[in-house]
Amino acid sequence: MIHGDNTLVLLLAGGVGSRLNVLVQSRAKPAVPFAGFYRIIDFSLSNVMNSGLSRVGVLTQYKPLSLMRHLGTGEAWDFTGRTRGVTILPPRTGSKDSDWYKGTADAVRQNIDFIRAHPSKETVILSGDHIYRMDLDEMLRFHRRKEAEVTIAMMVVPLSEIHQFGAGITNGEGRIVEWEEKPAVARTNLASMGIYVFDTEYLLRLLEENREEVDFGMHLIPRAIERDNVFAYPFHGYWRDVGTVQAYWEANMDLLKPEPEISPQVWGIRPNPYADSFQADRCPARFVEGCRVDASMISAGCVIEGTVVNSVLSPGVKVAKNAVVRDAIILHDCKIEEGAVVDLAILDKRVRVGRGALVGQGEDRSTPNRSFPKHLYTGITLIGKEAEVPPQAVIGRNCVVMPGRKAEDYPSMSVSTGESI
Amino acid sequence: MRLRPKVLAMILAGGRVGELDVLTAYRPKSAVPFGGFARVIDFALSNLMHSGLELVAILSQYRSFSLITHIGVGAAWDMIGRYRGVSILPPSQGSGRSSWYRGSADAIHQNLDFVRYHDPEVILILSGDHVYHMDYREILAYHREKDADLTIACLRVPMSEASRFGVAEIDDEDGETGGRILRYAEKPAEPEFNWASLTVYCFKPSVLYEVLDTNAREDDSFEFGRDVLPRIMAEQRRVYGFKFRGYWGYTRTIAEYWRTSMDLLGLEPKIPLADWGIRTNLEHRAVRDCQPLKVGHGAELKNSLAYNGCVVEGCVENSILFPGVHVKSGATVRNSVLFFDNVVGHDAVLDTVVSDVNVTFGSGVQVGEPGPWPMADKVTVIGWNNHLPDGMVIGSGCTLHPHLRPEDLSMKIGNGEVCR
Repeated sequence: MIHGDNTLVLLLAGGVGSRLNVLVQSRAKPAVPFAGFYRIIDFSLSNVMNSGLSRVGVLTQYKPLSLMRHLGTGEAWDFTGRTRGVTILPPRTGSKDSDWYKGTADAVRQNIDFIRAHPSKETVILSGDHIYRMDLDEMLRFHRRKEAEVTIAMMVVPLSEIHQFGAGITNGEGRIVEWEEKPAVARTNLASMGIYVFDTEYLLRLLEENREEVDFGMHLIPRAIERDNVFAYPFHGYWRDVGTVQAYWEANMDLLKPEPEISPQVWGIRPNPYADSFQADRCPARFVEGCRVDASMISAGCVIEGTVVNSVLSPGVKVAKNAVVRDAIILHDCKIEEGAVVDLAILDKRVRVGRGALVGQGEDRSTPNRSFPKHLYTGITLIGKEAEVPPQAVIGRNCVVMPGRKAEDYPSMSVSTGESI
Repeated sequence: MRLRPKVLAMILAGGRVGELDVLTAYRPKSAVPFGGFARVIDFALSNLMHSGLELVAILSQYRSFSLITHIGVGAAWDMIGRYRGVSILPPSQGSGRSSWYRGSADAIHQNLDFVRYHDPEVILILSGDHVYHMDYREILAYHREKDADLTIACLRVPMSEASRFGVAEIDDEDGETGGRILRYAEKPAEPEFNWASLTVYCFKPSVLYEVLDTNAREDDSFEFGRDVLPRIMAEQRRVYGFKFRGYWGYTRTIAEYWRTSMDLLGLEPKIPLADWGIRTNLEHRAVRDCQPLKVGHGAELKNSLAYNGCVVEGCVENSILFPGVHVKSGATVRNSVLFFDNVVGHDAVLDTVVSDVNVTFGSGVQVGEPGPWPMADKVTVIGWNNHLPDGMVIGSGCTLHPHLRPEDLSMKIGNGEVCR
């Protein structure tokens, strides 16, 4: 561990993540719950903690309240103490610059005062959007060994997916010699994970050179590659951008495999058990006589009387007698009442599925949602926070029930595949 | 408004019990795990929290390390703040006479300087060893209403069991609520009345000071039940009984521990942990770092409790699994309580077992006798840090002491045997 250099970490947590649809209606993407009682940002925060880094700024912009509540003092990730700390950095007004964050680089530029106030040799910039485990200390060592100005964590992705990423071409020693941001035509399969180590002085120079440039991947990185030493730090292992409903569902399902590639506990990922008092008040999960549970993840505070198969349940979920939950992600304190069936669905917090209701009905999984065809097209149905599914109602595939909908908001007790409430 | 608390709560948590032997080899009885994630003392602490009583002292003497770690700073029960706090009071040396705590009354007596410093209006003395849910505000209100010197919470027990408790005769002064205690007897051989004391005492401080001083001066035994209560009765003080009607669980023997644990299960558990709002310290044993329970393909869970950090790939029935328990495929766990981080190997069969932390059951190990709903006296208890080799067979009603060396273990242990 590199001690005494007070490496500064900037965590970009402003992302809207709009493709997560109702899950990000009241929270930023990094604050979306994952794997029972974690939030997506816990993975980045815990990676920072487990790498021995402890001076963190979190840049927020979009719906930051649940994120701020979750971060608290940072105690959950051991960020409290004389030289440790986590600081929330929302956009702010000042004497001259006052604007929303217009991009990743712009967000960092607007916080140059924070960077200067915490003198560091290197600054690590990462996003709070991904599910992965990585030793940032090792990356820092690599950065120093290569005497790089910038080091970018990169991994091999299928050629067909490279268009979503910053793509780099490296020379024999790992130096990046060419860069294309989201290339239409694939020339390499080496993708940027959006994790950067900068020499702090270099970062400050780069940010100040051209104040019109607002994005790292689009503007600053290509310029740095042209002139200076930018290295690719190779990453191998599990890494997922859970920015779409499908990817979010799949990553949750990855937890359930017999030999999972992803295990929050083994990875040392910590949630904040004191935020929203969600864990301190949860008793052991209770499995009542007659229940059936198979290949699932069940959090404390759940009461299972019915059947749960291949699903991830957050704390406090109640599955009543004769109810069935299959291939589903059920967030905190949902109630699945007697005889109801939830099949291939994501339920946000405190949803109530009434007696005998059916969520995710029908064989047709491919008719996309009419309002959000790009969000829902694989059969997953989404139920927003605190919504109600009335007793005996039948909801098809690829449907969306917006947060807070009550029985009287349903035009009929049958919602066909692809429709929304 | 007066911010300073009027009530000082003192929890007697120092004891160990011979009959609980193996489970209290390295911890006081109050720190024995209970309820799939908690410790016995969490019931008293959670009751205090929900009663809004957050100035607490804990008297501990016997192997208190586990207890001290568990209490931490008291934050788990919201007991930190300007007028909130938990103080652990171990025996200490002073300029004068100093000794170990010679009994529950002596423990309080030795800490009267602490009590006087806080200058409470009422001193609430509790045992840290019981499983129950009580809103102490009710007994405190009754105590004040009666302007009593001492008010004791009592539960009516069958006359046939009364000889195991300190029992009181309560008159009908206030009907269902309580009344004056007319007579009190500690574990009488032939009981004549059957309101058992729950070791929940509300004392008027001046009375407590006086009676503890007399007890220290004149008696040679220093227990509340045996010495202080009879003395107070003899002095004709105003002693009232508060009639409690809820569930009360105790864990003085392995059989009682097991039976009380089984009350956590069933369609309508007698101990509804969530309704009672039981909290524990998630920092202790790093419980907060656990991920949700993982249920494997083909696993079965019936009438059981399991906390975060468990992995269940086998069959679990009528059992309670603490964090970190791993039941491997093919294994069966029935009618058992497995403490933190037990590992049950493939095809092992456990029936009616209470197993302390860090016990590993090898593949195919058999413990206990299969059968219908078992009897509490058939419980096999296994002390902590034992590794039972593949294929070992252990009968019912056995006792394995903590940390046995491989050479101390034979591959077959008959019913009722004790391994040291």
